[in-house]
Parts: sequence; structure tokens; C-alpha cells
Amino acid sequence: MSSSHDKPVDPNQVVLWSDDYEGHDVISTRTFGFWMYILSDGMLFATLFAAYGVLSYSHSYYTGPTPAQFVAPWYTFIQTMALFLSVLAYGFSMASLKTGSKAGVINGIIASMVLGIVFVGLDIHDVLRMLSIGVTPEVSGGLSAFYALTQVHAAHIFVGLIWMLVMLYQILRKGFTEDVVGRLISLRMFWQFQAVMWVFIYVFVYLWGYMS
Amino acid sequence: MSHGHSNPIEHPEVQMASRGSYLTGFIIASLLMLAATILVSGQVLAPFPLLLTIMGCAGLAAIAQIYFLLHIDISEHNIWNTVALVMFIPLFVITIGLTWWMFSQLYLRTMPMIPGMPGMH
Repeated sequence: MSSSHDKPVDPNQVVLWSDDYEGHDVISTRTFGFWMYILSDGMLFATLFAAYGVLSYSHSYYTGPTPAQFVAPWYTFIQTMALFLSVLAYGFSMASLKTGSKAGVINGIIASMVLGIVFVGLDIHDVLRMLSIGVTPEVSGGLSAFYALTQVHAAHIFVGLIWMLVMLYQILRKGFTEDVVGRLISLRMFWQFQAVMWVFIYVFVYLWGYMS
Repeated sequence: MSHGHSNPIEHPEVQMASRGSYLTGFIIASLLMLAATILVSGQVLAPFPLLLTIMGCAGLAAIAQIYFLLHIDISEHNIWNTVALVMFIPLFVITIGLTWWMFSQLYLRTMPMIPGMPGMH
């Protein structure tokens, strides 16, 4: 990973090791490790997408309600925008971190939290509406898979909101130490990845369910 | 992966953040989701072209988010994240695809036609 690879190696001149210890790059190591976790979280979503895929045939709903009867595309589109804006606000917060602006980072995280709470609030309201019209997980395999996939995603958002609260406290108490900055970067990847998964849930579960 | 910065703010992982790139990713993904929602709620296309179109919207929105938000590119600092994602995508697709294919074949061969039960599509 160094530019010395471009030049021919002279055995008498070559430097085999660095004279001084460059330090362990904690942030890069943790960020890559957390990326591994995020991809395995992606495999969790893959299993739930697979379960929904095999349980979204018309016989999966038997004679019960299908997504075409209870999904409201524009309502869920507002949820989508709340989540995307929340991810954008968190991104702006991380751009403020480049200059070490504490106020910029905290304001961005608060904006991101508020929009995340809007997302979870809309989700809870939607679930209560569906439950009130008899669309419950125990009605059919199709509905069980629908609820499992959408609510596992909502649970991720909920965990992310708690994480943001913890990070606000740590920024105020500890400042931008190596640990705190590393956690902020991990949270950025976690939050952005939830938006990527939501794209698939929104299109393949909500929109496709609505049209079929 | 050695950088040896004493100030964590100077770390490339922090310095790669960019308002412009996050805004670009947001706008592209939002417009694609808006287009998919309009097409589905308006039912202007036949079901199969409509399905292909919204699949395309989802794929492009995911690529835009992965590139502009998650910084997945071939720069020196990010290359291993990119390699890990490239290894992950086949696992993701195979897990979903093979499961779906297996069950669709199973349903075709084993599902009895019970009177009053809706047919399969």
C-alpha cells in the first residue's frame, strides 16, 4: 500500500521496516470491523427478504387481506422521505465534524434524531391502523413475513435513535476523542445502511405488494 | 491502513465526509423513490413493465446511496470496504434468489388445489 512499489527494489537500499512506530490506526480498524458487522446485518435482512419472497404468493395470504388492500403508498413515501432526510442530516453533522464544530455535529444529530422519531412514529401509527382493521401477524404466513421484515427494520431505526442519544452525551462529556469519533463514523455507516435496506423494503414489499 | 494521526478529526475517515456528495445521494434516491411511487399509485404501466421499472429505481437508488453516502469506491482508504461489499452482494442475491426459486418450484409441484383457495400467480 505504499508508493515504493512503483520503483525497482535495490537490495542494498531497501528499507524493510519503519524506524519508528506509526501507531495503531484504531479508527480505520474499527470502521472496517463495523462494516463487516453491517454486511452481516445485511444477511439478516436477506433471510427476511427471502422469507417474505416465499410467503407473498396469493395462497400465502389464504383468504385474508393482501398488501394491495392495506398498503398506502403515499403514506409510506412520507416515511421514506423522513428517513432519507434523517440520513442527510446525519451526513451534514459528519461534514461539520471535519472542522471539529461541536455545535454543527450536535445540531445535525438532533435534526437526524427528530426525523428518525418521525419515521418510527409514522410506522407505529401505520401498524396501529393495520391492526385496527384486522391486519394482524397471526392472520396468515404472508402477513407474518410482512410484519417481521418491516418491524425488524423499524427496530434497527429505534436502536439507532438510542445510539444517537448516547453519542450526544459522549460528545458533551468527552469531546471528539478517538473513541467518540470512531463511534460517530460507525453510526454514520449504520444509519446510511438502514436507508439502503429501506429502499428495498419500500419498493419490493410496500410498492410491489400494493400493485399485485 | 496506517496513517498515524494524533488528532482523530484529521483521520481520512472523518475528512472524506462531504455535504455535496451526501446531498447528491439524497436527491437521486428521493427522486427515484418519488418516480416509483407515482408510477405505482397511478398504475399507468402494465404490471410487468411496471415491476421492471420500480426494480430499476430501487437498484439505482441503492447504488447512489452506496456510492455517495457510504463512500464505497476504489480509493486507497476505502478499497477493502468495497471488496467486502463486492463479496457480500452475491451472498445477498443467492440467499434470496435460491430460496425464492426453490419454494416457487416446490409450490408448483406440491401445492394441492383446495376448493375456495385463491390460485397461485
